[in-house]
Amino acid sequence: MRSFEYITPASLDAALEVSTRNAPHVKLLAGGTDLLVELKHTANGPKVLVDLGRVPELKGIEETSAGLRIGAMVTHTEIMESRLIAQHAPAMIAAAVTIGAVQTRNMGTIGGNLVTCVPSLDSGPVLVALDALVTVAGAKGKRQMPITEFFVGPRKTALSPDEILVDILIPAVMLGRPASFRKFGLRKGQALALVNAAASVAVEDGRIADTRIALGAVSPTVIRALQAEAIVTGKNVGDTAALREAAEMAVTEARPIDDFRASAAYRRELIAVGTFRVLEEALAGATAG
Amino acid sequence: MSERITKEKQAEAQRLLEAAPATHLPAVSPRLLPEVPALTPEVNKQTPAVGQRVSRVDIRSHVTGATRYIDDLSFPGMLHCRILRSAHAHAKILSIDVGEARKMPGVVATLTGDEIPVNSFGSTYQDQPVLAADRVRYRGDGIVAIAAETEQQALEALAAVKVEYEPLPAVFDPLQAMEPDAPKIHRNSNVYTSKVIMRGDVEKGFEQSDRIFERRYTTQMIEHVPLEPFASIALWEPDGQLHLYSSNGRITLGRADLARTLGLPMNRIRLTATIIGGNFGGKNEIRTEPILALLAGKTGRPVKAVFTREEEFIASTTRHPLVMDYKTGVTSDGRLLARSVNLVLDGGAYASWSETTVGKASILAAGPYRIPNVRVEGHAVYTNKTVTGAMRGFGAPQVAFAYESQMDEIAHSLGMDPLEIRLLNGFEEGSASHTGQLLQAVALKDTLLMAAKRSGWMEGGR
Amino acid sequence: MHHIEVTINGVLRRAEVPPETTLLSALRDSWGLTGSKLGCDVGDCGACTVLVDGLSVNACLLLAVQADGREVVTIEGLSGFEYLHPLQAAFERLSSYQCGFCAPGMIISAKALLDENPAPTELEIREALAGNLCRCTGYTKVVDAITEVCRDHANAVGVEESA
Repeated sequence: MRSFEYITPASLDAALEVSTRNAPHVKLLAGGTDLLVELKHTANGPKVLVDLGRVPELKGIEETSAGLRIGAMVTHTEIMESRLIAQHAPAMIAAAVTIGAVQTRNMGTIGGNLVTCVPSLDSGPVLVALDALVTVAGAKGKRQMPITEFFVGPRKTALSPDEILVDILIPAVMLGRPASFRKFGLRKGQALALVNAAASVAVEDGRIADTRIALGAVSPTVIRALQAEAIVTGKNVGDTAALREAAEMAVTEARPIDDFRASAAYRRELIAVGTFRVLEEALAGATAG
Repeated sequence: MSERITKEKQAEAQRLLEAAPATHLPAVSPRLLPEVPALTPEVNKQTPAVGQRVSRVDIRSHVTGATRYIDDLSFPGMLHCRILRSAHAHAKILSIDVGEARKMPGVVATLTGDEIPVNSFGSTYQDQPVLAADRVRYRGDGIVAIAAETEQQALEALAAVKVEYEPLPAVFDPLQAMEPDAPKIHRNSNVYTSKVIMRGDVEKGFEQSDRIFERRYTTQMIEHVPLEPFASIALWEPDGQLHLYSSNGRITLGRADLARTLGLPMNRIRLTATIIGGNFGGKNEIRTEPILALLAGKTGRPVKAVFTREEEFIASTTRHPLVMDYKTGVTSDGRLLARSVNLVLDGGAYASWSETTVGKASILAAGPYRIPNVRVEGHAVYTNKTVTGAMRGFGAPQVAFAYESQMDEIAHSLGMDPLEIRLLNGFEEGSASHTGQLLQAVALKDTLLMAAKRSGWMEGGR
Repeated sequence: MHHIEVTINGVLRRAEVPPETTLLSALRDSWGLTGSKLGCDVGDCGACTVLVDGLSVNACLLLAVQADGREVVTIEGLSGFEYLHPLQAAFERLSSYQCGFCAPGMIISAKALLDENPAPTELEIREALAGNLCRCTGYTKVVDAITEVCRDHANAVGVEESA
């Protein structure tokens, strides 16, 4: 690893100040499970590394009037162990347990996962299915945006170089909404997703009143399968044929690629299977409650 | 047998744990050593070792983290070495400039190929340079080695080395490498070792056959991925003896190669192999040892080098990918009459253990089946890829994949049970192998039947 | 250079390290604790697993400066001259390792599991060890050893409760 200056700011303001002052030669360190690997393999590393590990504003999970606020530096293990998340957004736990292995989840953070923004990021689909908002802070203050706008492309987010991801908000209206997550990898542990999928549903009087379907690893960023959602919304809860139709539609909305992990054809099969299962599971959650 | 853990014992362990210093000897108290049953052979009785469950002799060290692998050793004044590897798969080296690198902080010495007394090594053919001096043949070729006070300094100095290349056309496919107009990697032909096995008359066998089956099978390159990356340390003893510590699995061959490259008699080279953190065939030849020996000689200090994980992938050896063309003639009731096999082994940039691998793959290529007419031809071919060498079975697993796949295909096509066709054709007591060896204690069919029984094959449990 | 103070296996240790030093390098090079191994250097193999404030982490992906002020447990902290950790004793009884390079990290991961969950199922054991690779592929005896420790522990607790 090339040498760098290491700074540990104790507040968000201090972190913003030091990263703005040293831009563009700065990297922000969250859990480090991706960043350290990158730094070990690059010839041109950052001059300054800002460790966000001691910034209190980026930590904690809390329920507010706006919804459920999850600090960007919350680790995947903290998500798995959070009673608030288990109560309000358990699909986030289903996604967190599929990330890396125990060690990775103890170190890696949800904010780091989102900022790295690889197409296969496992935190993404559930957050998209729950209409999550993200807050970013910069020298000019804070701004909030839907998570779908935060994802711009592979390894590219809407963060400008002098901004820091502060937290993720699951809006109050989405809390407790039945949702589900599925990941397909080559192995269970330490595997990147070939395809991951999430769905959330709102059921009223036996009818599906609202649907979100999110797919990961099948397009440059996490996408919503809007046409598939339209097929499901308005149907009766027991309409399995509609779920199958939606699953086939989701395949046409994605743009999977061939790579050394899987062929595009195989990924298309997985999209159909994954979409069907997450819808089925989300609906099972809706009717069980 | 197993020791019960009572609360008192746990509390005692916890108390001792808390009182323990951060570094200490691991559990070596004699009363804690595992009981080893006495193995006294009795006359006219089978040795009691057979069927006994015994503990590994090194297991105490393993579970306490006390096993000393190479990278766990260090010596006073020890320097760290990193190696610059080729930027091209195939190129002429026009110039190497280490002037700037020598001035970098912490750098004590550099080494290039022209400073090596005999700059070639190899377990069969000595076709591989210790450090490439005039030509690189794959991305794993080392060009410059740097010894510095710290590994970080050595790494940073590598970036200051300037190498000018003239890229040459490269070939990455072994079949293309056999074409007459393919880029030549070492000499006139890229085919560097071959084996032919003939028994009976395959053409006649095919004529007599009711059905002919033909198919090409291929396997991929596989890295051993030992958890411990290859590591060595070199130091010169005051009596003029070179002492190397290395995760090298073949120390006698290693000493011979070292003696040759360094121009030293073998009796002045001591090669200490510690416990190896996984070998699987990938640590069966010297790698950095001669480089470290020369750097240690230049600096008068011990020098250590540990492969990065990337080097382990590109600069160690791998398993040969094979292209295997099988043609088999059978009677309509499933008897094998003739089999011809053509094997092409992707040999990578240097020979390493390819000769052994071609030999073993060819000898085993027709499978453990009684076939009166056999012809096998195997060739190892140079390509501009990572060197292929020894790995678990020396070519045997690759051909097993091919011939067993074809047996299944034949059985399926003839409407036979895959077990039945193997029992019909399999080697028996006294069968001759395809190279004419009379076989004794042949348990093939017994093993197949036992496996079939245990898996419920007969009852359709497949 | 950064001055760091880390409690390692119960003892406060100090070092001056450049910022790019990983915790693994500091353990091995500054403090001579070579039990934790460098396998892949990218957080895949788990040979460098240590506990930081009770949680298992890849010491190759944590900077030494990040460990400043925290508590670290390494394989060396589990045994002493006169005692072995029950996990070490079980791994020894079953000869669970071949080359042994993965052992220190795997034992630390097993300890992290049992500290949280003294009666894991086989699936939970396997999932807890997903970040620890053994290339000799001897996972079966590793799972067996951990299962044995849990059973012995349950028996010991059971005996005392009925007494």
